[in-house]
Amino acid sequence: MLTKASSLSRLVGELKKLPGVGERTALRLAFHLLKSPQNLTTLAEALLEVRAKVRTCSTCFAITEDDPCTICSGRRDTGTICVVENSQDLMALERSNAYHGVYHVLEGAISPLAGVGPDALRISELLERIHRGGVNEVVIATNFSVEGEATALYLAKLLKSVNIKVSRLAHGIPLGSDIEFVDAATVQWALQGRNEL
Amino acid sequence: MHTEKLQAFTISTIDYGDSDRIVSLFTLEQGRLRAFARGARKSRKRFGAALEPFARIEVQVRIKEGLSGLVQADIHSIYPHIRNDLEKIAHALYACELVDSITAESQPLPRLYRLFAAYLDRLETAPAQEDERRFFEINLLNILGYRPALENCSRCGTSYNTRGAILLEGGELCCGPCAAPGRPLSDATLKNLQACLGTGTFGSIPLQPDVLIQAGALLDDAISAHTGRRLKSLNFLRQVSL
Ligand SMILES: [Zn+2]
Ligand SMILES: [Zn+2]
Repeated sequence: MLTKASSLSRLVGELKKLPGVGERTALRLAFHLLKSPQNLTTLAEALLEVRAKVRTCSTCFAITEDDPCTICSGRRDTGTICVVENSQDLMALERSNAYHGVYHVLEGAISPLAGVGPDALRISELLERIHRGGVNEVVIATNFSVEGEATALYLAKLLKSVNIKVSRLAHGIPLGSDIEFVDAATVQWALQGRNEL
Repeated sequence: MHTEKLQAFTISTIDYGDSDRIVSLFTLEQGRLRAFARGARKSRKRFGAALEPFARIEVQVRIKEGLSGLVQADIHSIYPHIRNDLEKIAHALYACELVDSITAESQPLPRLYRLFAAYLDRLETAPAQEDERRFFEINLLNILGYRPALENCSRCGTSYNTRGAILLEGGELCCGPCAAPGRPLSDATLKNLQACLGTGTFGSIPLQPDVLIQAGALLDDAISAHTGRRLKSLNFLRQVSL
């Protein structure tokens, strides 16, 4: 009943391309959708709508439906730019409700072992924004991986020539944890980034 | 199939599927080893920073031919001072990629392991320097049996004495009379490189700028002849060393 060319096996094939979905899960999802034709239609419509509407903001490169995005066009402190690796990181910072500036999405991080250099990221666009003026602080919020650190250090070096404040998100012992149970790497990194009191 | 406890450095990782990772380890006991790290992508807590490049770790590995399984990884050092310095990161990543691409799998190389560890220890405590990278490279080639012909012509066996040598393609060295057109290498360059092989201590043989240029040409050629490709991390190393 499931021939290679059938529409159902095509659907299974497409579902399998999603992260974390194998053959069995794809089949299960496909049959679930088949049970309710209404679900199929709304899912298909949602997919097409996303395809038609979602783009990246031409200012900050966040995923958005409006260009400029609601953050860039909203009542935010445009003097502070927070640099993140991707839009998911931006959303995490937004959830904190603690940041009121604007963002800049690099669309990745410097990864020398993978051959990803600074030129592959939205760094020149960041510099353009800064050179247009009105920016007094850049907050670097790249990941705390070797790649994220390399990216942060590279940006810091690049921005040294411009007269603005450059800061990095603090790192260290997770809130609410006992030092006794924290792993060696986190302790080493927390010591490295210790603050004067 | 048996489990072993090994001293190791993480030298590279690639994502595998949605939740796993394959990690390349350089171990003291077994040389370079590829291990399957189940759940390494899904849960950061599972292995944490142990699977970051140049982390010094102790691992428990289920040894299997081809691809071993990583059972546990405990961190000895993440080299916090390297991680906090752009040039140091670039040098450390280059050293990782070099070891990853020039060594054979499952071939114990304890001397190279100690050299690699000494280089990272040095980067952790002193500024990253071009001549120490070259010191690492010449000693690495020597340990792997790829030592360039620094004393006698590789073709006729004649001693260079103080006349220097000619660098041919692929990092080959020979005397003037044997040479096709090539790049001259001064007596000082040859002697300095020999001296680098005579000590295991980083920072003990400072190289003058002209020596550094000549030694660099020889080492770059010799290394790419053995790795068969240009290392990806070299671009970044050049970019940040300017
Ligand atoms: Zn925007
Ligand atoms: Zn000769």
